[in-house]
Amino acid sequence: MTLQSVSLVIAGSGGAGVVTAGSLLLEAAANAGWYALMSRSSGPQIRGGEAAAMLRFATEPIMSHDDSYHLLMAIDWENITRFAAEIPLAADSLIVGDPAHGNAPAGLLSAKPRETGLPMSEIAGKIENGRPNMVALGAIAAMIGLPKEAMQTVVEKNLKRKGQGAIDASMEAFHAGVAAAADLPSIPKLPTASASAEERWSITGNEATGLGVIRGGVRFVAAYPITPATEILEWLAPSLAKVGGVLVQAEDELASINQIIGASYGGVPSMTATSGPGLSLMIESLGLAVAAEVPLVVVDVMRVGPSTGIATKSEQSDLNIAVYGLHGDAPHIVVAANSVSDCLFTTQWAVHLAEAMQTPALVLTDQALGQSRAVIPRPAELAFIGQRETAKTAVEGERYKRYAVTASGVSPMAIPGTPGLTHTADGLEHNEFGTPSSQSSDHQAQMEKRLRKITQFNYGDHWAEITDSDNGPGDIAIITWGSSTGPAREALQRFSDSGGRARLISVRLIAPVQPEKMAAALEGISRAMVVEQSHSGQFYRMLRAFYDLPKETLAMHQAGPLGFGPARILEQLNSWSA
Amino acid sequence: MNTASNRDGLIHTIPELLAHALAMETEAAERYGELAQQMETHHRDDVATIFRRLEKAETKHLAEITEMCSKVELPHYAPWDFKWTGAESPEAIDIGRVHYQLSVREAILLAYEHERSAAEFYAGIADTATAADVKKLARQFADEEQEHIGWLEDWLAKCGPGDAVAVDDPDPPLGQE
Amino acid sequence: MEAVARKFKPKDFKSELKPIWCPGCGDYTVLNALTRALAELELPPEEVAVVSGIGCSSRIPAYTSVYGFHGVHGRALPVATGLKLARPELTVLVTGGDGDGFSIGGNHFLHACRRNVDITYIVMDNQVYGMTKGQASPTTAPDWEGSKLTPEGTGINPFQPLVVGLASGANFIARVSSSDPVNMAQIIVEAIRHPGFSLVQVLSPCVTFRPEQAEWRDIVRTAVVDFTGDAARAARRLMTDDGFNVGKVLYKGERPPFRPEHEPTDGSIAELEARFAL
Repeated sequence: MTLQSVSLVIAGSGGAGVVTAGSLLLEAAANAGWYALMSRSSGPQIRGGEAAAMLRFATEPIMSHDDSYHLLMAIDWENITRFAAEIPLAADSLIVGDPAHGNAPAGLLSAKPRETGLPMSEIAGKIENGRPNMVALGAIAAMIGLPKEAMQTVVEKNLKRKGQGAIDASMEAFHAGVAAAADLPSIPKLPTASASAEERWSITGNEATGLGVIRGGVRFVAAYPITPATEILEWLAPSLAKVGGVLVQAEDELASINQIIGASYGGVPSMTATSGPGLSLMIESLGLAVAAEVPLVVVDVMRVGPSTGIATKSEQSDLNIAVYGLHGDAPHIVVAANSVSDCLFTTQWAVHLAEAMQTPALVLTDQALGQSRAVIPRPAELAFIGQRETAKTAVEGERYKRYAVTASGVSPMAIPGTPGLTHTADGLEHNEFGTPSSQSSDHQAQMEKRLRKITQFNYGDHWAEITDSDNGPGDIAIITWGSSTGPAREALQRFSDSGGRARLISVRLIAPVQPEKMAAALEGISRAMVVEQSHSGQFYRMLRAFYDLPKETLAMHQAGPLGFGPARILEQLNSWSA
Repeated sequence: MNTASNRDGLIHTIPELLAHALAMETEAAERYGELAQQMETHHRDDVATIFRRLEKAETKHLAEITEMCSKVELPHYAPWDFKWTGAESPEAIDIGRVHYQLSVREAILLAYEHERSAAEFYAGIADTATAADVKKLARQFADEEQEHIGWLEDWLAKCGPGDAVAVDDPDPPLGQE
Repeated sequence: MEAVARKFKPKDFKSELKPIWCPGCGDYTVLNALTRALAELELPPEEVAVVSGIGCSSRIPAYTSVYGFHGVHGRALPVATGLKLARPELTVLVTGGDGDGFSIGGNHFLHACRRNVDITYIVMDNQVYGMTKGQASPTTAPDWEGSKLTPEGTGINPFQPLVVGLASGANFIARVSSSDPVNMAQIIVEAIRHPGFSLVQVLSPCVTFRPEQAEWRDIVRTAVVDFTGDAARAARRLMTDDGFNVGKVLYKGERPPFRPEHEPTDGSIAELEARFAL
């Protein structure tokens, strides 16, 4: 069934507390039994800048934001037009502004949405310590059908530290907002959620990534702060300590990657998290981990590039550097998470892959996944635990071969502390013992084993998530990856609901490529669209290079932070099925 | 902690003397082997051969001393507690004085200098020790070193004019990593 | 003197691999001093790791019989930091040169001193890049004209590793000369035993690109004063010295090493997950 949902934006400038308001609203909605997704966008200021919290609520799990927002609640208009492109409005959208701040800027009005006023600051001003954002929350709650009790619980919990006075003031403002909403035009209301037996989690992509890391067995993390990856580290620091792990704040990304190489060489599964600029700095040492065969996980929470780009906004444009950035022929693993909850799956899987194959695994997520909070069904327990094949005892009279050429390509690794198996791991090309060698035969043999271990590995069905419309795949495919998957999935559902048939292939294993599996997935497909959020179509070009795509393949690529919403994808599906 | 019992810097007992002899012969054998390997790596087989022969001689000498030590409980000396007169044990050629363009004659002279230092070290103990058995054994060791000195004198005498010339290398050094 | 022979001989810490260094190179002496030190410390080879970056001196790990890691240029200190923090029971050493440590790896040098992880850093300083045919390094004198890259000299004041190390927080600072291998072994033993980040600068001549450094053996002198624990005094001493006072520990600090807790505090993965559940 097509998702019954309501979408809204809370926007405002510094001091308006829109992110806090959005978080409270999400938590209350979660308590009320709804599913939710909240993303955020912000200006470049550290404090006091304009910000927007984009929320969508539904009684079913949510994969994506909608094409437009039912409601824009603007606490003020400060710089709001900077977000105009990211908060699409339609003719039936409703803009609610505070008359004290004047009318909505023209930049928001191109779709001719409905407009109305709510004197939030005036209402709040009549309450001691009342705040306009709580008035806004009250109005929103009333408009979308959120039970008031749900907000009461959340406010009590979140403002407990500030004392009863703060709780009372907030709730008074909230109730004043609820009352004022009676005079406002309507937007879709959600039904009260039926009590579900299903356990739900409230989690961000970055938290899910952190949890995946710990579940996979990582116990050493070194990292340098960078937006939008920092929350992974903030979550991991205390969480790792609870399970006997360690997080070190390094002096730079060169240090992060090399610290985790050292820790992993020491036998402890290790990871770091960064974004594009940090990944760029790590690249040389990723090659070292490939050559020295040191397992590790590097998470890149992608943001708009190149260079410093737009640090706070999302883009799927680090695919090229992740796949091709390393100098020399350096086979390694690149995987990508396709949703907030898949950040957990993919990261945990990455630990498993890295450890099993003794090579670096890059995990690509992005700001849209990492910094979004979602209320999701409890993620499944996964069996992936990082397990490294180790050499434990010396064979009498035989010198240990750290880089033994084996059928699988994986060479049992001796961990420091193991008697009789000392060796030097080396980034110089080497022979089987690890002794530096400039001979072409050693280079050839080591290159082949390093490639073999990742190409012969059984990745099972996890290489991609394949979803068909309800009545079969038809002959149309949407091929996508990462955070573009959510809108594509919703488009497919809508297409399916209207009787259309198509197949969605969201590629999780970016490298090594899986031509046979892709060929099987594309069997019977005559038209495909490739959907991604990069200006140059990096994913499309990679598919073109390694896979046989249908003759009619449409490349749909666009620079971040904008992307293709469900409607744009659906439009293409409809045009093909007409 | 390693605290030397003989704070006067002298060697008084047979175990002390043997500990020094064992260390000195071990280091001499190893050092000649190392230098031979260095020269082999740099394709200086002429000089390498000299060091290999000396390594062999010192290894034999070492085996004899090891045999003598097997019946004695030796004191342990940290490397810096030995009573050497120089920076290292006297018979081990100073690594910093070697070069891959070393002439054959220079190599023999280097070895000669260190073998003589070894003989002098033992002779010095023979002169200063108070115990008769220590004096006697030290004198014996000094005499044994004389044998190597004799060889080196022979080799020096046999050196031709070409052996005194440093080896030329017209190629420039190579870039590596 | 102990009446018990050591479990290991220096030779037990050498590998079968033959060094590629030029005969006469000071690095041979460092290898010998290092193996003597490890034998004296009676550390089983498997409980020691030597980490290096790139350069002539960075080849040391493979010439030892302990666990070794030969990584990329300038990043040995972070590799060693990660290894030591993940495996605190190992004895971790870092070996490298002046270019590796003070130029490309300069930032890590500062922060390794500052972080004060219990590792020992042995820098073989020959004031030149040997692996790339003899260019000026951070410690090269400004008027050295021996490189085609800087035919007029660099014109830049040399880096002062021990001064910078002290200012950055190194807990143990010493300078030794490759012409005195026994003293070097003794200092390395002390450096390994001293908790925290120990910095040992070795004057290690390059016979190929800096043949004039052969004179160092005659120029160096044993430092007159014993070590101080007073950083201000040590700073004055290091700032005024000419770089040739060797053979003694110059500074020993008492700062506790950085050693994060490894024991699980109170948690399980299930408890971590429970915090997400609604």
